[in-house]
This record gives sequence, C-alpha cells and structure tokens, in this order.
Amino acid sequence: MALRSESAANGSIRGRVEVRAERTANTRPDTSGLGMAASREGTDRRRSVVYLESAPQSAFETREQPRARMDQRNEQFVPHLLAITAGTWVDFPNDDRTYHSVFSLSKFNSFDLGRYAAGRTKSIRFQSPGIVRVFCDIHPNMSAFILVFAHRYFAVTDEDGRYRLENVPPGTYTVTVWNETVSGRGDLPARIVTIGDNGAEVDADFRIQ
Amino acid sequence: MCTWRRLFALLLLLAATPAAAFAQVSLGGGVTVGGEVTATFGAHDDEPHSNRADGEKPAYFNYTDYAHNALRMFRVSLSGMWQPASQFAFLVEVRSENLDRVTPYAMYARVRPWKKLPLDFQAGRIPSVFGAYVRRYGTSDNPLIGVPLVYQYLTSLRPDAIPASADGLLFYRGLGWQVGPPIYPVGDKTQKPGVPLMTAYQWDTGVQGHFGGRLVQGAVAITSGTLANPRVDDDNDGRQWSGRVSFTPVVGLVLAASASQGEFLTRQITDTYNALLNQDNHYTQRGLGLDAEYSRGYWIVRGELIDSRWNLPKINNPPIDRPLHATGGFVEGTYRLSARYYVAGRADRLTFTRILGKSQPASAPGTWTPWDAPVNRVELGGGVKLTRHLTGRGVLQYNWREGPVQFIATKKFYSSAQLSFWF
Repeated sequence: MALRSESAANGSIRGRVEVRAERTANTRPDTSGLGMAASREGTDRRRSVVYLESAPQSAFETREQPRARMDQRNEQFVPHLLAITAGTWVDFPNDDRTYHSVFSLSKFNSFDLGRYAAGRTKSIRFQSPGIVRVFCDIHPNMSAFILVFAHRYFAVTDEDGRYRLENVPPGTYTVTVWNETVSGRGDLPARIVTIGDNGAEVDADFRIQ
Repeated sequence: MCTWRRLFALLLLLAATPAAAFAQVSLGGGVTVGGEVTATFGAHDDEPHSNRADGEKPAYFNYTDYAHNALRMFRVSLSGMWQPASQFAFLVEVRSENLDRVTPYAMYARVRPWKKLPLDFQAGRIPSVFGAYVRRYGTSDNPLIGVPLVYQYLTSLRPDAIPASADGLLFYRGLGWQVGPPIYPVGDKTQKPGVPLMTAYQWDTGVQGHFGGRLVQGAVAITSGTLANPRVDDDNDGRQWSGRVSFTPVVGLVLAASASQGEFLTRQITDTYNALLNQDNHYTQRGLGLDAEYSRGYWIVRGELIDSRWNLPKINNPPIDRPLHATGGFVEGTYRLSARYYVAGRADRLTFTRILGKSQPASAPGTWTPWDAPVNRVELGGGVKLTRHLTGRGVLQYNWREGPVQFIATKKFYSSAQLSFWF
C-alpha cells in the first residue's frame, strides 16, 4: 500500500461480487429421524467479504469495543457470514426451541459455548484475526463463518453481491474477496485499486466461478 | 493386518480431503448424500484358548454377530435423501461391516400430510420407535465405542431354533455368540448367534407414525419382526406393534417410555408345536422400556432400561415353564472439556430370570439359575475432534459375567481406539 497526502480527502471503493454458487440444501440425510426436518431455506453461499489486504495505520486504532450478533434461528446461523474487527464481542442468542451448542475448532479463536436453551445468549470476544468456522455440536447441518480483521476496511456483500468500503484514505490498495466457495485457496480474487487525492469513488467488480 | 493398514490409509485419505468438499453434499434436484467411515481397532477376542500362548479363554462380550466384534470393526455407511417436495422425502442408507456384504439399513418414504401439523408417516425399512440409543447408533452422537449391552450382547435365544428343555438353554449360558443344534434340536439346523434384547444393527420393516409436539412426542409402528429380530421378510406372519411416548418438560430434559409386542419364533417352530400340542399359542417377544436424557452446558447424561419377555413352547423336561425375562440398562455421561476434547463413561448391566434345570448348569445342577449369564460392563473413554468431520476415540472397557459358564472367560478387559469420519 502506498499512502499519499495525509490531508487529502478520503474516498470509497464499491462494486459487485458475482458468485456462481447455488444455495446449498442445508439438510444432511437424517435416516434415523422419525419425522420431517424443519423447513429451511438453505445456506446462501453467494455472500462474500471484500477487504483491503493492508490498510492505513489509522485503521488499526481502537476506538470502541464493538459488538456483533449471530443468531441461531430455525437451526441455522443468521447471518451465515459475519465480518468483524479483532476485539469484537459476538453474541450468540438461541432463538430456537431446542438446545444449540456453538463451538469452533479454529486455530486462534477456538471456543465452546456448551448447550444452552432458547432465549439465552452467550458471547465470545474474538481477539485474533483470521477465519473462524462456527458449528453446532448438536445439529451437523449448522455452520457459519466469522472473518476477524485487524482493521476496519472490509464489507459483507448484500444479497445482490454489492459492497462499499467507505472512508478509505488516498493510496493504492489490494482489494481482495473472500467467499466460502473459494475458502482455502491460496489465490483469492484480488484487484489493485487507487484512491486519488480527491477522494473519488472507485469501482472494483469481481467474479467468482 | 494388511487389510487393516489399507483401511486406516483410506480413512486418513478421507480425512485429508478438505472438509468443505464434504460438508452438505447436495447433488441438486432435492438430492443430498452423507455418510460415515469408522475404523475401530482392538484386540482379537475369538481365538480358542488352546491356540493361544497365554491360554486365555475368549469372552465374546462385544460380539454383534458371528465374527463381528464391536471393538474391532471397519464400518462404512452411505445415506441419501431425495426430497422432491417439502412434505415428501425418500431416504436410504446402506452399511457394510468389515467390507462384508452391503446391507440396506434404511430404505423408506417419509410423508407429512399437513404442512403445519408435525405429524409424519414413514413406510419401508424404518428406524425403530422403541428406546433411544438405537436411533443414534452409527451416528456421530456416540461418545464411546462399545454398544450398550441391551442393544448388542448376544443372548442364547434364537427365533429360528429353540432348546428342548431348560437344560438345553442353561447349557448355552454366556455362549450366545454361537448357539444351535444338537443342544437346540428344534428348527434351523445350523449354529448361529443368539439375539440381543434389541438389536442396534438392523432396522425393521413396516409403517410408523410420529407426532412431534413441543411438550409431548409420540410414535407408533407396525413392523414384521421384533426388537431382537427385525426383518425385511416376515418369517411368522405375525406383526409387531411398538410405540414410544416422550415428554420434554424443559429444553434439555427428555423422559420417555416404550412398549412393543410381536411374534418371535418362526412359523415353522410355532406351527410344529401348536399342531403337536393341539394349541394355538403365540410365542412372542414383549418389550418395555424407559429412557431419559438430561443435558446442560457441557454435560449430557443418558440412561435406558429395557425389559424383554419371551415365551417359548414347553417341550421336554425339565420344561421352560415360564416366560423368559431379560432386563438391562445403562447410564452414560459425557463431559466436554473444550471444543476439541471430551470424556465419557457408561455403566451397563444385563440380568436374566431364573429357570430350573436338572443336569445344568454342570457345576450346580438342579438349582434355580438365570437362563443366561448376567453381564456387567464399565466403559470409560474420551475423544478428540481432530477436525469438524474426523473424531478420534479411545476407551477402556471391563466386562464380567456371573457364572457358572463353560468354555469362556468370565472377566475381560479390553481397550479400543477408533477413527470416525463423517460427511
């Protein structure tokens, strides 16, 4: 990243991420069940996170202890994809009538909330940047991703795949896209973009096959 | 040994495959597939003692079928579901143990007639509605490796061959892994394993209905076999009815009661003795069960109690002149130490009612003796989630029989390790 004049106006990066992925049928065959599983819409795997590979120094200044929320609703994590800064507390409220048991085996953010019932919330503070896969120990179909960033220059795409990174200081950046369909690949889709001194809006579209 | 090495290599290969490639495998068109590969490693327990250098007798505590040991087994299961509409699904699961024949474990249609009413019907080769453990056997929801005695331990009873007298039955105390003629002169003429109180290794064929209320849930089924001998084809023209009612007063607590009754002996045996005695008797298996589960935080505690009663014809003296009962139960606890590690334990007991022999048991003839040797088991172990889809388990298990028994050991200590991969 190359920073330009500190006094220049900040800009923004916007665009669209097109993901060629279907909703997954969120149902592992439950042959030992005695009845129909709860009707679920399936996981929308088209949501992505767009972020700056490296960010200006000011992005790392901690000003608050933010909170985020990941519900357990109808045997799904909602949202399925969450992006936060390191140090954020994430609440995991159980909105279902059954127990859930949220855990992660992720290397730097491993946790286990145990079983807890409807109406209760347990929380975890995510301290280390990285990708956190979240599961329920009772319901094997439930999974979610939490992307923990060291800075605040990231955005989750909306249902049309659109995103916007606001208040980006002038400079040249590598904008990268993460999507679960390409998770684990060494070469995530990325583009180099430059924010001029006038703080203009820059477009950067992506396509993930 | 080479086979086990190959199986272990296969499991590692599966485990090395990125989990994302397996998670929620959807083939489109409403078709999803899943499966589990489990390799369990333990010592042999079937060598005749004369062949063993240490002279130790085999004990067969964990045998599930002839030459199948629950603590030493490679199991593959594949399941699939086709759900063309939200209220209709077709499910199938095939399993193979030790790469023997592939068995259709489940194959049934599931229908929910009214979308907003949690009332479902299933028809085909269906999961048992009786008890609780039977529906979690073969899933990742098992903290230990051994199977509870009531669901696994082979008693000396068979549906297709029976002893002629109480002495015949007492001769086979503790030898349920292989019973038959000449001690059992009636029926099938080959040596085969006996049956457990209720088998976890096979499902029955029939129809069932299930109501999944918030506080109360209930299920009833009519099938062609019995708890101990589920069947695809009917061998006695009799039907088993079974049912279970469960109560969930608070989330995390389930209290349930089950009952069943069905024709046990084959038509050949029943017809022979009814004609001989000019009677119209039914030789049934009746099951009664209680089960409970409580979980909270990092704890899960489960328990089951099952009583099974069989009627056999009275043939020669000394007669088996009363119904044969077997009662078994277990308590199992699991505590999660962290997201990755847990510890678990189970205590099991299986008892049998007494009958009176004349020449048996050999060491104490003419005494009232349990018709099979009561068994106790304690299993302690733990597990580690190596990945979301790969779990390693290890257990120590101690079993003891209450004598007198012939030919086999009364006590045995086992250790076993398992790798289980599911997708």
